[in-house]
Amino acid sequence: MDVPPPFATVRDLRVELTRPGRDSRAQQVLKGISLDIRPGEVVGLVGQSGSGKSILGLTLLGALPERSRPAVTGEVRVGGVDVLTASPKTMRQLRREKLGVVFQDPMTSLNPTMRIGAQMVEATGSRQLAIDLLARVGVPEPAARMNVFPHQLSGGLRQRVMIAMAVAGKPALIIADEPTTALDVTVQKQVLDLLAELRAELACSVLMVTHDLGVAGEIADRIVVMRDGEIVESGGVAAILTRPQHEYTQRLIASRISLESDRTRPLPMFEPSGEPEDDELVERIEAETYPVWRPAPGAAPAVTVRSLTKTFAQSRSTTLRALDGVSFEIGAGESVAIVGESGSGKSTILRIVAGLETADRGSVVTLAVAGRPQMVFQDAGASLTPWMRVGELLAERLSVEGVPAREHRERIERALDVVGLDRSVLRIRSRELSGGQRQRVALARAAIVPPAILLCDEPTSALDAWMAANIINLLRHLRHEVGMSMMFVTHDLSVARLIADRILVMRRGVIVEQGAAEEIIAHPREQYTKDLVGAVPDPVFAERAA
Amino acid sequence: MLRFLARRFVSLLVVLLALSLVLFLLQSLSPTDAVHMMLGENASAAQVAHMRHELGLDQPLYVQYVRYLGEVLHGDLGISYQTRKPVSADLAQFVPATLELGAAGMVLAIVMGTLFAVSSLAVARWAHLLTGVYRNLILALAAAPPFLLGLLGLILFYKEWGVLPASGRIDDQSFSGPTGFMLVDTLAAGRPDLFGNALQHLLLPALAIAIGPSLVIGRVFASSLRGTLDFDYVRTAMAKGLTEGQIVRRHVIRNASNPVLSLVGLQIGAMFAGTLVVENIFGWPGLGQYMSRAIGTNDFPVISAVTLILGAGYVVVNTVVEIVQAGLDPRLRLAA
Repeated sequence: MDVPPPFATVRDLRVELTRPGRDSRAQQVLKGISLDIRPGEVVGLVGQSGSGKSILGLTLLGALPERSRPAVTGEVRVGGVDVLTASPKTMRQLRREKLGVVFQDPMTSLNPTMRIGAQMVEATGSRQLAIDLLARVGVPEPAARMNVFPHQLSGGLRQRVMIAMAVAGKPALIIADEPTTALDVTVQKQVLDLLAELRAELACSVLMVTHDLGVAGEIADRIVVMRDGEIVESGGVAAILTRPQHEYTQRLIASRISLESDRTRPLPMFEPSGEPEDDELVERIEAETYPVWRPAPGAAPAVTVRSLTKTFAQSRSTTLRALDGVSFEIGAGESVAIVGESGSGKSTILRIVAGLETADRGSVVTLAVAGRPQMVFQDAGASLTPWMRVGELLAERLSVEGVPAREHRERIERALDVVGLDRSVLRIRSRELSGGQRQRVALARAAIVPPAILLCDEPTSALDAWMAANIINLLRHLRHEVGMSMMFVTHDLSVARLIADRILVMRRGVIVEQGAAEEIIAHPREQYTKDLVGAVPDPVFAERAA
Repeated sequence: MLRFLARRFVSLLVVLLALSLVLFLLQSLSPTDAVHMMLGENASAAQVAHMRHELGLDQPLYVQYVRYLGEVLHGDLGISYQTRKPVSADLAQFVPATLELGAAGMVLAIVMGTLFAVSSLAVARWAHLLTGVYRNLILALAAAPPFLLGLLGLILFYKEWGVLPASGRIDDQSFSGPTGFMLVDTLAAGRPDLFGNALQHLLLPALAIAIGPSLVIGRVFASSLRGTLDFDYVRTAMAKGLTEGQIVRRHVIRNASNPVLSLVGLQIGAMFAGTLVVENIFGWPGLGQYMSRAIGTNDFPVISAVTLILGAGYVVVNTVVEIVQAGLDPRLRLAA
């Protein structure tokens, strides 16, 4: 039997980038990568952020950022073209005729000042073809949508448009760089299904770049695991997911948050690229077990929410009812997750409890004896003021809560201990901290005066698997040590299950279902909840069951 | 878009009204007494009282304001204490000169700013070691005040090399046209020779007011271009197989130009301020000269009228800028 030659071949690829601005030292981002992509094959390229996986994708495209003054050695052949030496004209032709690209964030990868139609036609060459393609990728009323601007579409629709542009030239290879990371779980599933369908239709290859083993497992034939610019392991999906050979892959799989992660134990932690060898906190956390929460008899609830209603004006004539009479309580020390798609109203509740938004009707009562409610944002580390020293950031919160200055030192040191940071960070400005340290400081600040409730707004959704596992562990550790109540908003049921004792499922401004976390996942009653459960990509489980 | 335009228009009116109110209050608070200025120091008390009544100055302030507003709307800006002519008649003579200078300065500033932006990107790309030198050079030029640049221009181009005239709008003093814009009038009269001459007169003063703003515009434009080139949609465009030219024309320029436009609007103010000085250096018969004479003699109707005209021009230009920006970026229409 003849094996067709690979469509793309990478041999001993080394890439050095000099990022402008910083200390301007050249950094080796890819350290000798060799990879084949066969015709029709779907390759899942998995790694943490900073592993070089996106740079590999850009190299295949011949699109390394010129500002970083890339120095490239090795060999890269795509569709018979030597990418490293080809003329700009040849590269343009290659991109137009044989390659399609889908980037991560559909909001920023479409031109905001150009109508969808004009952007489509750039790829298709004809208006009719553009409309047909939009219809094919599931954009409703495609002809009308040609005339709108990107910001007038939802995230899922924008990504469909992006995919339509990628497949316009009937490409032989689609490079998809984290195409679903910015999307809700349910939308993620639809987009993955669409990609799989199109791949079958076009019989093209796909390079799926992702930090999520689950996503790679859903769609790929073969998985390639990268770390620090090197390939550590590659093989068939089943082999990698069920019998990973390399220790790094094993840890990636173990730290993956799934519907069957152990709820009583922390997630396995492992070092991200470039973080210092970790400290005793990891050992402390790894020794922890989390007992089932039971309400203390006679304790007042931490938060009582009564018939919250909130309406937003969408335009002059239409309004959106974000919350429609929502009531619930969160017990002292309890952790509750609110789960739903974008637009379900879950973030609005959070913002009202935090005092960032006022309700039209209804009431929120929080425990008066504790500190004010604190927020943990999507990117917790980014919520620190970059030029302030860690000590100042922590003291600021203490002053606001009225803690006398003579107690500051002791409280600050205790907070640092809880998150396992050395006293020496107190004099460091937050922009000089590593990503992991920043997360810890943000959490230390939130917990330094135990708040009536800790409000978490999708703190894992923008992070790769390592960072997500890290912050979930930290949150559970904090709860364990400080005993706070938590309210956790997420679209991902597997995260909700780990962090919460109880789950509220929201849809269109009302709570459609609620119950103990395990119960909701195991026996969802509403179709909507069942869809949410089904959307969690869980190929490891599927492979083992098969 | 229509709603957007309506809103911009209403807020334009509100700002203009506020401007007129401020000017009116300044006028009535001014220590210079209008009646004394008109009648001279030796007028009798009866004459003064009569004049006060005549001018309506004995009426409540809000009545005076409403009347002032009515007069302004009818084009009546009062009588100059000094020339004893209606201020509006003087303005008709001086405004075109200043407008011509200002417009030429603005066009030059935009063109030169674009060149600076493109060249600084080119320097960063092809000779990045020189980037710092280039940036400091530009910074030094941007810090030079217009009068210094004007004097320098005079010394070099007039005194040393004798290639450009030193003052006035045109050599042939007898020439005049219907619009008051020399470049337009000379062309309309079919006199290319005079057009060239007017252009020569215009060049130095326009350059003097344009250099500062052009460097500011150039710097912002360059950083805006750099930022836009980093956007994902530029990568998307490249992935479609578009040429570099197509990418820049269709995807970069439009998205990069919005912050620059805001700046152009704001720089108009700096340019007006520049014309007041530069017109004196180059003997340019415009608002600047008119204004500096008025300031010297406490000619308040003139000061107030010129301020009103310049202020209104500033507000109108910035409103136009906002409308153009909304035309370029659909998201701004929503935000308004």
